[in-house]
Amino acid sequence: MKKYCVILIFLLLPSLVLAQNKKTKHRVIPIREVTVYGVRPMKEIGAQITKFDSLALKENIALSMADVLSFNSAIFVKNYGRATLSTVAFRGTSPSHTQVSWNGMKINNPMLGMTDFSTIPSYFIDDASLLHGTSSVNETGGGLGGSVKLSTTPAEAEGFGLQYVQGIGSFKTFDEFLRLTYGNDNWQTSTRVVYSSSPNDYKYRNHDKKENIYDEDMNIIDQYYPIERNRSGSFKDFHFLQEVYYNTNKGDRFGFNAWYINSNRELAMLTVDHGEDTDFDNRQREETFRSVISWNHLRSNWKLGAKAGYIHTWLAYDYKRDLGNGIMAEMTRSRSRVNTFYGQAESEYYIGNKWLFTASLTAHQHFVESRDKNIIKQDGGNAIVGYRKARTELTGAMSAKWRPTDRLGLSVVLREEMFGDKWTPLIPAFFIDGVISKKANLVAKASISRNYRFPTLNDLYFLPGGNPDLRKESGWSYDAGLSFAVGKAGVYSLSGSATWFESFIKDWIIWLPTTKGFFSPDNIKDVHAYGVELKTDLDLALTQELTLGLNGTFSWTPSINKGEPRTPADQSVGKQLPYVPKYSSTVTGRLSWRKWSFLYKWCYYSERFTMSSNDISLTGKLPPYFMSNISIEKGLSFKWADISLKGAINNLFNEEYLSVLSRPMPGINFEFFIGITPKWGKK
Amino acid sequence: MTSTFFRLILTSLILLFTSCMEWEYGLEEVFDTSASGEGLFICNEGNFQYGNATLSYYDPTTKSVQNEVFYRANGMKLGDVAQSMIIRNGIGWVVVNNSHVVFAIDINTFKEVGRITNLTSPRYIHFLSDEKAYITQIWDNRIFIVNPKRYEITGYIEVPNMTMESGSTEQMVQYGKYVYVNCWSYQNRIIKIDTETDKVVDELTVGIQPTSLVMDCNNKLWTVTDGGYEGSPYGHEAPSLYRIDAETFTIEKQFKFDFGDWPSEVQLNGTKDKIYWLNDDVWEMDVTADRVPVRPFLPYNGTLYYGLTVCPRTGDVYIADAIDYVQQGMIYRYSKERKLIDSFYVGIIPGAFCWK
Repeated sequence: MKKYCVILIFLLLPSLVLAQNKKTKHRVIPIREVTVYGVRPMKEIGAQITKFDSLALKENIALSMADVLSFNSAIFVKNYGRATLSTVAFRGTSPSHTQVSWNGMKINNPMLGMTDFSTIPSYFIDDASLLHGTSSVNETGGGLGGSVKLSTTPAEAEGFGLQYVQGIGSFKTFDEFLRLTYGNDNWQTSTRVVYSSSPNDYKYRNHDKKENIYDEDMNIIDQYYPIERNRSGSFKDFHFLQEVYYNTNKGDRFGFNAWYINSNRELAMLTVDHGEDTDFDNRQREETFRSVISWNHLRSNWKLGAKAGYIHTWLAYDYKRDLGNGIMAEMTRSRSRVNTFYGQAESEYYIGNKWLFTASLTAHQHFVESRDKNIIKQDGGNAIVGYRKARTELTGAMSAKWRPTDRLGLSVVLREEMFGDKWTPLIPAFFIDGVISKKANLVAKASISRNYRFPTLNDLYFLPGGNPDLRKESGWSYDAGLSFAVGKAGVYSLSGSATWFESFIKDWIIWLPTTKGFFSPDNIKDVHAYGVELKTDLDLALTQELTLGLNGTFSWTPSINKGEPRTPADQSVGKQLPYVPKYSSTVTGRLSWRKWSFLYKWCYYSERFTMSSNDISLTGKLPPYFMSNISIEKGLSFKWADISLKGAINNLFNEEYLSVLSRPMPGINFEFFIGITPKWGKK
Repeated sequence: MTSTFFRLILTSLILLFTSCMEWEYGLEEVFDTSASGEGLFICNEGNFQYGNATLSYYDPTTKSVQNEVFYRANGMKLGDVAQSMIIRNGIGWVVVNNSHVVFAIDINTFKEVGRITNLTSPRYIHFLSDEKAYITQIWDNRIFIVNPKRYEITGYIEVPNMTMESGSTEQMVQYGKYVYVNCWSYQNRIIKIDTETDKVVDELTVGIQPTSLVMDCNNKLWTVTDGGYEGSPYGHEAPSLYRIDAETFTIEKQFKFDFGDWPSEVQLNGTKDKIYWLNDDVWEMDVTADRVPVRPFLPYNGTLYYGLTVCPRTGDVYIADAIDYVQQGMIYRYSKERKLIDSFYVGIIPGAFCWK
């Protein structure tokens, strides 16, 4: 602990020294104004939406969206390790039940259905929001848990701008971020680059295995839990994002976004792996290119929009073994390619200020190729185990939103989806909200919808195991809640919400092993997920220069298997789904004084069961954990540039914790960031 | 003001100073099962990549089961995918596939006595002597030769016409100086190894993907194929049960199943004059029979059979039900008169058995 205190002081030291700089200008974070009930957006009638502000998204360049969701929302992030696969459980559902879009284009992998949030740097996202459960039907189908909407926005630059941030962290972690912007009345351009790399070889005490000490006759004379490093966990991630926006200032806006990812990540060895890391190379490489062009035509009471996009993803998985002579031989060589074309048209039409009609039609055309294994056929020739498929996905929606009085809003959405040659029945969603008290901005909201999710391409066609006879999952859900907002401009603002939700999902698809040694999916579960989501936000000006921001979330999400017993011995019926915590909570506190800022982030996950029967066995349980991160930041303003210095401590209390069995997480670790924003002749 | 700012930070740190993840480490239980003559070890595979394989121990006399005995005796996990186990001279050898290890344990105390590491992806171990054993692998075209006394790898047997990626060697039986091995994943053959030269000297083509291998009282080898799967570039055919003469290394008899059947787990009784296998139902057949019986030994009753063994002493039949593969599986024990004697929960995906 003493060592950590010393490091803490070291991190604070530059900030303390710089505090003596009297020339710096004060920066006061403004207290947000309380939303006035009368200007609640028509589009959001009855919807349960969580929006992430730029303070959360741009906290530091080393963060991924997985980190942002962990510490700022009630979503459970299932984290396989640092800079490793991170998937989400939204309202107690599985990762593929969360639909994710980037600038309107769906980015869930069409083969796997899920999104790896560890590959989305939060510095590349300007606008992020969660649409809980039913509310996702406003944007897309298939979000049985909800949807995550990510987008970029024009930088609002005037002239040239540059921002460079360098991060240095524990385990030889380096993060570089560069942003170049240019803007005038019509044009806005932005180029962002992120490069993160680390051997990621953090130390941890491995309680899952022991090392033996033998005597000369090979009798064990002692054993101990080794202090190991995270083995084979290195990563190198490169991201490039180019944006160009053109605004005619006469109601037409054009946008172009292109995002390139080059990722090279080792897959870390399990805690129970007794192999040598130098004998194996277990690696995943990814190259992804996503681009969207958009046009919006805005008039006083109507809007037309069109988007087109393209995604190319190349994924390589290699598992190699040293033959003892330095030659690494391929044990598994898997390749997959996805090409997706995307198009969308949408329109909005207002009649007075009481009616809003919207319509949208979205198409995704996927072409996928999976080459999973090279084999020698019976006749001696070579063959590849894999599949090639194409699928068209269409989703169309129409909505009518009506606000007959200031106090009441009603909305109806009708959606229809087609995947391949299969259609969903009509997906209806109904939303209502009403102001109970104008003084407290107390608003009641409720919504109900049906929803469907089609099997992924791997579910249907993967070799071996794909099951073309799978049915689509279906569900219906509703939620109801209250929200309030009070405050005094410049003094304080306090808002909060409480929501009850309930959903029933039938024909839940799960992959299970077979007696032939491979996995195969089937529609085997019916799930009843329900619970409560609480949110609160407080901004408080303690003095003119000292402000406090607090926000917290809490979720209670029982997610219960309601299916029939698979066999007479089945103990899973009526039990919580594995890896879905019943309780989760987050708290973020931000204290700002002049150009200083102190941030405390905390999250909590209750015990997760690793068995469907909820047995708490010695080898199977994942205890609850708290996680605490802190950072302190100091801004400096010079004539030629703004400089920011930031020190961060992650896992402050050096918790030994796991998010997934046998995947160690790092203990206390440190990061330091320096950011420079030249003023380019500005004052 | 600076001091107020830092005082607030300090207060918030103290208020939130909580550290709570609770782990139970290092607890080691003392077992001694030497008093009971008979015992059954059950290897529970656990879920691939989750490291939750376990070892269970069942006493058929007292009908009592102890789960997670490796963890409880050693204070550490067994590993990822417990594939198989054999016993030799009071030492149990547990092959843990994706942990790249074979543990040696005392079969009465379950305490580890040593381990063989640096294996590629071990499946089964077969002893030739106290100082020489073979370990088969998947995703490797080599069978590892080890010295179990020194826990060392001493050499390799290269299997011809097999690459690392399509490598698959499985169960081993010995006839004289020859060891026979079934090659399973994307393979269709039984290979014959000369244990004096450690070379593959012959091979016999059977159907697609032979899954198991045993040798009966008449020195006949039995294997069953799974026939591959729909869409496989290697082929998909009706599976078969084969009787192979070990001496001449030729197929004596092929018993064909229906297309789409998934037979597996060929096992012998104690006198090695009956074979058993799974194919939805549990089947039993005399080793001299010319045709598969019309009726199963135990009909399918909604239970998903995954593992099978027969008590060498009593002839009781034990069947493993993996249920949904993410909960504790169930073992059903039937007498040879087909009466249910006992049932008990073990670990996740009980797949392999080993008699003490």
